[in-house]
Formats: sequence, C-alpha cells, structure tokens
Amino acid sequence: MNVRHFLIGVALPLLLVIASGCDRQQKVSADTPKTLTLILGEENTEGFDPTLGWGSYGNPLFQSTLLKRDADLKIVSDLATKWELGDGQLAWTVKIRPEVVFSDGSPLTARDVAYTFNTAAKAGGVVDLSNLQLAEAIDDSTVILRLKHPDITFIQHLITLGIVPEKLHGPGYGRKPIGSGPYKLVRWDEGQQMIVEANDRYYGIKPSIKRLVFLFSTENAAIAAAMAGKVDVLGVSSNLAGQKIPGMTLHVVKSVDNRGLMFPMVPDTGRKTPRGLAIGNNVTSDIAIRKAVNYAINRQALVDGVLDGHGRPAFGAVDDLPWDNPEIRFKDNDPEKAKAILEEAGWRDSDGDGVREKDGKKAEFEILYNTKDSLRQGLALAVSDMLRPVGIKAVPRGENWDRIKDELTHAFVIVYGFGGHSPLEMYKLYHSNGPEPMYWNAGFYVNPVVDNYLDQALRAPSFDEAIPLWKKAQWDGKTGISTPGDASWAWLVNLDHTYFINQCLDVGKSQMEPHGHGWPITANIDQWQWTCK
Amino acid sequence: MIFRNIMHLMITQFLLVKTFRLILLIAAVATLSFVLVSSSPVDPVDAYVGAAMLRISPDQREVIAKRWGLDRPPVERFGRWAGQMATGNFGVSTIFNEPVLSVIGKRFITSFWLMALAWSLSGALGFGLGLIAGAREDTLLDRSIRLYAYTMASTPTFWVGMILLMIFSVSLGWTPVCCAWPPGLSAEQATLWQRLHHLLLPAITLSLIGIAQITLHTREKTIEALRSDYSIFARAQGESTIGIVFRRALRNVALPAVTLQFASLGELFGGAVLAEQVFAYPGLGRTTVEAGIRGDIPLLLGIVLFSTIFVFTGNFMADLIYHLVDPRLRKATGAIS
Amino acid sequence: MTINPLALDRRTRTMMVILGCLILFSAIFLGAWLYGEQGQVTNLALRKLPPGWDQPFGTDWLGRDMFARTIKGLRISLEIGLAAATCSAVIALLLGLAAATMGRIVDVAVTWLCDVGMATPHLVLLILISFACGGGAKGVIIAVAASHWPALTRVIRAEVMQLRTSDYIKLSHRLGKSPAWIARHHFLPHVVPQFLVGLLLLFPHAILHAAGLTFLGFGMSPHTPEIGTLLAESMRYLTTGMWWLAVAPGLALVLSAMTFDVLGNNVRALLDPKTLRE
Repeated sequence: MNVRHFLIGVALPLLLVIASGCDRQQKVSADTPKTLTLILGEENTEGFDPTLGWGSYGNPLFQSTLLKRDADLKIVSDLATKWELGDGQLAWTVKIRPEVVFSDGSPLTARDVAYTFNTAAKAGGVVDLSNLQLAEAIDDSTVILRLKHPDITFIQHLITLGIVPEKLHGPGYGRKPIGSGPYKLVRWDEGQQMIVEANDRYYGIKPSIKRLVFLFSTENAAIAAAMAGKVDVLGVSSNLAGQKIPGMTLHVVKSVDNRGLMFPMVPDTGRKTPRGLAIGNNVTSDIAIRKAVNYAINRQALVDGVLDGHGRPAFGAVDDLPWDNPEIRFKDNDPEKAKAILEEAGWRDSDGDGVREKDGKKAEFEILYNTKDSLRQGLALAVSDMLRPVGIKAVPRGENWDRIKDELTHAFVIVYGFGGHSPLEMYKLYHSNGPEPMYWNAGFYVNPVVDNYLDQALRAPSFDEAIPLWKKAQWDGKTGISTPGDASWAWLVNLDHTYFINQCLDVGKSQMEPHGHGWPITANIDQWQWTCK
Repeated sequence: MIFRNIMHLMITQFLLVKTFRLILLIAAVATLSFVLVSSSPVDPVDAYVGAAMLRISPDQREVIAKRWGLDRPPVERFGRWAGQMATGNFGVSTIFNEPVLSVIGKRFITSFWLMALAWSLSGALGFGLGLIAGAREDTLLDRSIRLYAYTMASTPTFWVGMILLMIFSVSLGWTPVCCAWPPGLSAEQATLWQRLHHLLLPAITLSLIGIAQITLHTREKTIEALRSDYSIFARAQGESTIGIVFRRALRNVALPAVTLQFASLGELFGGAVLAEQVFAYPGLGRTTVEAGIRGDIPLLLGIVLFSTIFVFTGNFMADLIYHLVDPRLRKATGAIS
Repeated sequence: MTINPLALDRRTRTMMVILGCLILFSAIFLGAWLYGEQGQVTNLALRKLPPGWDQPFGTDWLGRDMFARTIKGLRISLEIGLAAATCSAVIALLLGLAAATMGRIVDVAVTWLCDVGMATPHLVLLILISFACGGGAKGVIIAVAASHWPALTRVIRAEVMQLRTSDYIKLSHRLGKSPAWIARHHFLPHVVPQFLVGLLLLFPHAILHAAGLTFLGFGMSPHTPEIGTLLAESMRYLTTGMWWLAVAPGLALVLSAMTFDVLGNNVRALLDPKTLRE
C-alpha cells in the first residue's frame, strides 16, 4: 500500500465533491410554481395531531377549526356557522357548514367534530380539555359540547382545535395528518424540513401560494440561508433584526408577548407549599414597594435599550387585546413619585447607604431570570439600575429554569413572560389558587373582589359579555390587579416579533401575536400573495 | 473433514459465548439505566409540557402522566418496560410520538454514513501516518506526526468542528453551514454528491481526532516490528526500511490496527454526538442530546441500549478478526488438516 | 565514580517541565481570583469587539471581556475536571485493590462492573448520568467521576495481581500479616506511582469530557460558566463572524489538556524505575 497513491485516491474525489457541491445555488425556473420557503422556529417533533396539541398555538394549517380570529382578533366563523352557549352556560351548540370534505375526499360531519373533542380530552397531549364532559353529534351538522362547569374561555378550543377525520385517526395520524385545512402535508423530512401544498378540496378561498417549504434549522444556518437568498420568510429574535438581508424587508408584528416582574404578594412567615417550596417575600409584600417599582421604571427606555426599539411598554398582562382596560395605564418613569410613595409608607434611608429601610428590613430583593434568556437578563440589569436612585436595591441573578420552577418561584421576584389570545391567562395568573399554584399566581395574590369578577367572567353567557368583567378585574375604580390597584406585577414590555420577508411577498395584516414568535404569523397564510411579476 | 467439524464447533462455541455475554450485558445495562433515569429529579410531565405550561391544568397533567405510564410505581414500570423490551417493543418516544425503534432506526441510517466515512478516513489515514512515523522514527517527520497526534488527543471534537465550520463554511464558503443535504430539497432530490458535500466537514472533524489513537498505536507496532528478529535479518540482507515495512511487517501491524479501529466504535459514536451538534446534522447523536435535554425517557433508554449493542458489535468484530487471523489458530487447525 | 551528565540533565529537565506545568496552573487559578467578578460585568457600549489592545480576546455580545471570561471558565473547567478525576481515581484504586486482594468473587464482580462501565459509549453514559442527576455542575462532576474509573481499575488490578506473586509478599503472608496490613503496607506504596500517573493522565480526559457535556447543554448552571458553556454560547454567533468567541476558550482548553498530558508523562518518566536509570 503506497501512501502517496492513497492520498491521491482520496484527495481527487474530495475535490470533485467540493467542486460539484459549489453550484448548489439553484434558482427557481420560470415554469416551476413559486415555492414559499419559511424558517419559523422549532419543529413540531410530535407530529401534526390536533388531539395532542398541534395548532393549539394558533392555527393548525392542515386541519380546520370551528371558529377563528381575524386580523383584529375578533372571533369569526370558520367551520361553524352558528355557535350558541346555553343550558346554564354548560353546553355549546354548534352547527357546522355543509359539504366540507377532508383532503382525501371523505366528508366532514359533526361526528368527526365530536370524535375530535372527545379524543383530545383523553389523549394526554398538551391540549387541556379537562372541562369537557362529553361531545355529541346529534345529527350530521350539529354537535353539542357539554362542559363540567361554566367557562367562557372554553371557546378558545373552538378556535384552535383542528378537526380530524374519525375514520382515519389513530396513533400514526400525526405523521399523515389528513384534514380539511387550506394546506396539506406532502412530506416531512424529520429534522430538516416539511413540504406542504395547497389543498384543492378546501372549502374556503383557495390560497394563492400553492407550495410551502418549512425548514428547521439553527438560527445561524437560517440567517446564512437567508443571506444566500434561499428563504422567503424568516423569524428572528429582535437582537438580530438590525442587520440587512438583501432582497428582504423587516416585517415587525406587535404582540402581547410580554415580560414583567412577578412579585410575591405575601410576607415570608416560614410557610411552605406541600411540595416544600418557600412562600413569601417580606419586602415585596409591601404594596408601597410594588407601586414604587412600577412608577420608577422607564419602560420606553427598556424598549429602546434592551429591545433595540422593537417593542412597546407594557402596563398589564393583556395590553391592547379586546379585554384590556385602558384605565390601568399610568405615567411611569417618575422616580419622584416612587420616592414619595416609599417615604409615606415609612421606607426611609436612615443609615445613608442609599438603600431604604423600614422596621429593620432593607428595601432589597433579588430579580431572578432564566440564564439562557439574554433578553430577560438585559431587563433585569436595566431595571436594577433604574431602581437604585429611588433607594431600592434590586440584585439581578441568573438561575436555571428548573431551579426557578422547583424552588424559587414563590419567594423571589422573577422575570416572567406570558401573553396569549385567551383571557383564561388572566384568570390563571390572578385568581386565588390552591396551596400549590406552581406557575399560576405564583405570587399568592388574593383579592376577593378580583376573584369575583374573574369567576363571573367565566360564567358569562357570551364571550363579549365577559369582556367588561375581565376589564373590571384589572381596575374597577377602587381596586384591581393593576398598578392603580394592588400592583401585583410590574409589567415591563411587550415584544415586537420581527420577521424578514421577501420583498415580493405580501403577508397582509398580521394578527397581534401571542407569546413566542414564529408560527403565529401563518395565521393568515392562505391570504398571502406574491406581488412581483 | 475433521478439521471442518472442529472449526464449526469452535465458531459455534465462540458465537454462543458471545451471545450469552451480550444478553447478560444488556440486562445489566438496562437495569442500571432504568434505575438511573427513575432517580432523576427531572419531571417528565414538565419536560413534555414545556412552553404550554400555562394552559395545562393539574387534571390534564394527570392525564398526561397516565398516558406515559408515569403514575405507576417504579418497580412496576420497570417490569412493564423490561417485558416489552424482551418482545422487541422499546416503547414510544415522548418527543416524537413514534415507536422508539422507529426513531432510532431512521436517524441511525443518517449517522451511519457519517460514522462510516469518518471511520474509514481515520483508519486509513491513521494507519498510513503511523507507518510513516514508525518507519522514520525520531526524524522531524516522526516528531511532527507525534505532536499532531498528541495535540489531537487533547482537543475537544466539537471545537475542531467549530473551527472548521468557521474557516471553510463561514469564511470561505466552500462547505455548507449545516444539515444533511441542501435545505429546501427533499431527500430524493438531494444527489449523492450533495450529501457527500454535507458530510465532508463533520466526517473530517471526526477523523482528525480519531486518527490520533490509531496513529500512535500503529507507530508503536511498526517500531516493534522493525526491531524484531525477522526485520534485523531482512536488513542484514540489504532490504531498505520501507521494503521491510511494506513486505513483512505490514501483516503484523495491520492486525492490531484493524482490531483497534473496531474497538473504537464507542469513541466514534461519542464523537458523532458532538459533531452532529456542531453541524446540525440530523442523526442519532443529535437525537440523543435532545432525548437527554427534553427528558424523553423511553428514547434515552432505547438509545443507551442500542449504543451498547453497537459497541459490543465493534468489540465482537475485533475479537472475531483476531481469532480468524491469528496465526496460532491457523497453525493448530493446519496441523490437523 | 563518574557522573553521567546526560542522566542528570534528563532528570532535571523532567523536573523543570513538571514545575513549569504546575506554575502554569497556579497562574490560571491566581488569574481567575484576581479578575474576580470582572468577567460578569456587561458593558453595552463595548459589544462584539474583536481582539485588540484593550481586550486581548475580544468582547462578547453583552460587552463582557472574553479574556476574563476565558480565564474564569478555564478555572471552573479545571476545578470540575480535577474533582471528577480525583473521585474517579480513588474509586479505581479501591476497586482495583479489592479485586486483586479480596478473592475470586470480588474479582469477578469488579471485572464485570468494569465491562459494564465500558460497554456504553462514553458520552452516552455521561448524558445518562447527567440526566439522572438533573444536570447542573454537580451532575457533570458526578457523571464524569462515575464513568472514568474502569480503565484505571484494570491497570491497578493488574499491577497488584502481579505484586501478589512476588516473594516478599508471600513471605509477609507466611509471617502472619493480615491481607489488610499487606494491602496497606506493601501494595499501596507500590501502586501509588501508577495511581498518581493514572490520576494525572485522567485529568485531560475528565476536563475534555466535562467540556463536551456542558457544550451539549447538560451542565448549564449560570454560576459556573465553564469553557464548554462559553463555546456553546459562541456557536450562536459563528455565522456573524465573531470568531474570537470560539477560538480563545477552545485554545485555552486544548493547552490546559496538553499541559496535563505533559505533566503526567513527565511524572511517569520520573517515577518509572526503568527510565530513572537511563
């Protein structure tokens, strides 16, 4: 064996490989349909089965839902033509439109709807239908969804649960998701990409873009691909939105994806949850501290500095959603007012070290954030700087998410982020909860007036009638969860979701997006158009 | 006639012993692994629910726990799992919602090409370099090769990958930044050349490190061979060093090299895990990391067992080759025939 | 008596190399201590700077000095590696001794344990154990410690077994000394050189494996940003051209591992009676 010969035998093929791979830039030829290539975030490794949770994040693409939200987040009909809540708010009677077929031609009836709901309730996925008693189809086009207890927010499931064909559904459905949605799955190369084509049997307006390719890759590779002109829609985190990508424009979408500081609302008396987590914080349980923090922070500066301008100040958990109460807004960036509030409550700096004290304790606490998230880290650091001049010492500290969840969440100020399209989130965050609330109402906030409004809202006879009650819970003139009231949180910012879009693509008006960008932009994908010729 | 029978007997005995050892090994590894994952503080339901945590009530968490069989006591769970395993059912992955064997199968095929390419490259190059170094002992060439091998042994695989990525993919643009074939193409559309192109950097990364061990080992054996009696005799007869190496020592040096290569399958798998992470190559290595991070217990256990079998196969091949090629064995059977 | 100048030189050379290595490591620890919390300080005005006079290794996306971060990360890597390697080596010593001195059953059991320990690819075993411990730096140490002892165990076992057959051991036995006494007074001192060398040569493996584990994301504890973590973070910025984020920490790791290798080999040369006479 001659080493020299061997090296030549290896080097030459290698060179050929490199050379041939170099002309991989394939331009779309004139007669192939224009494929839309998107990189929007994480792959749904579990598959596309709505009964396991696919689409609960917005829209299931391959399947259709009973209702949907338009660009202004108003609830409009999709599969359902009529939907009525009756029987003591315990039963939804839904009529579905006729002549809908799945992509394989089989008809969609109320039986499929009932099957979908019943199966999803038992499937053990990430869709929570524990309030569903039973779904029954009383004829081909009418289905009754019976609930265990009144809950107006159940309507969210009618908006997000895609309907699956009873006859074709089974354990492997997630990889061959036959549905009645605007698109159908053609192939899925796991770990790499998903190829999707328009469904010719779709009952609605057929999408003008016939072929979609979703790529799954790291952010690095995604940007490299975009730079090479191979991607048409790219979701990026806001700190990467500042660069220029040739042929693409920056598309900024407002969102309720918020970040804020959660305060423990009760003092630390040594009490623990059944799982052993410590409860309470002696500094933040004082309402003066919470209000002072809210007034001292300059939210616009946070947006400009930490979000690079891609965002807007947040004053509550549901800003600008239909159930947002505009009266909770206040003028922040007011350190004088913050100081006044503290002085009046008895927080004074008696030893001249720049930190106020009251009854022997210092106005000091730690702000915890998930270390992997540089945005939350930036917020914690900036907020800490803003609080020092008013005499509050807030020390930022990075922690593992697991530690936060399993040890620290009830006793520390934590940078959390939420934001969804359902007011159920407000209920979960602020309604008084049992002894082990976990992440819902982790601060142990209790206000019977607020509880009352929230409970009434759940029992409302219609979604619209619940809205004034959600608003009252935030502020009813005398009390509420917001800063004028109990100041249970210090909401900081609402993120903007940033996408790079091909200059020749019109994506219409994007909905205000929920927590976590990426997939939500496809909510109106069946209306997208190519604009260049 | 007798010779053939004895050979059959010896091979059968060999295979039986090996199979028995494999079964014992699997049983031990399975039990230990199960105990380990059961004592993990990671809550599988939490891991599964992930970002949807605000939408999942405690009631739903119970439903999820029931679905994955997590509401049963550990001993019962082990019994069920072991029983299912014995019939070839490795359970369902919580990340992919697919049978574990199917997940492993799909992704192993992808990794196989990477590992095969790297294995061949490192074997061939390492062997070659080792021969050269041994033949030219203590020269500058030898010392450079040794320095290279020692350095590589101290270098983390993933860092080598990152450096190669930065130089060849980001700066020069000669190779792709990720993935198994160009993004946007389906598996069938990707040509062989394109796949090789994407395999190039990850395979080179693995090879660069894998070379070290075999180079040093081959070098030792070459030096040994050159100091042996037959070499001295050949030299006395006027043969050059290179001649001795390639005509006489080769067989003696090649055998340990090949067995070493087969025995290094474990390191190869570990290296693949790191390389696939750097190059976002969708193989079994990346899946292992995902299973560990996202708490997919059935998949993690499945991969542990699968990789154990993989390593065992490597060692088995090494043993087999040794037995087949060992001259002493030949002599014994040769005397009988 | 003639003094062979070459032998003295070689021995002195070896000792100087060892000394050099030790000084280098002390420098790392000292440096990390001196830098203190500077590695954590963010400075949004100095973000993403390439290496220059003021920042020899550049700065990262939050403006933190990469040199400080590298030194600190290196120190943590070394600590984790040392802790894990020491635990591993001690386990190997105990098991190796036990296997060679406590009878056939124990021997078979220990050999079997070694086989099982080496049956799975190293990294897979590390991931498994790290998962079992719930991650974090503690998980990394335990994982690395629990997976590196088989090879050294075999070596020590072989060494002690060889010793057992020597005459003076048999003499001790006949003189009535208990096995434990023999183990302590005869085996142990003899094995110590092997143990020490094995321990030193374990360090680079331990350090590299720990870095690999944290790179994959299993040791992500914010209070211990060791080299693997630094490199994992730098991966996100590779395509944006911030090469210094990856090169510096990686080089530091390679050099440390090599230094340990050199240290170990030189100690071995020093302690090995054969080469002492060269």
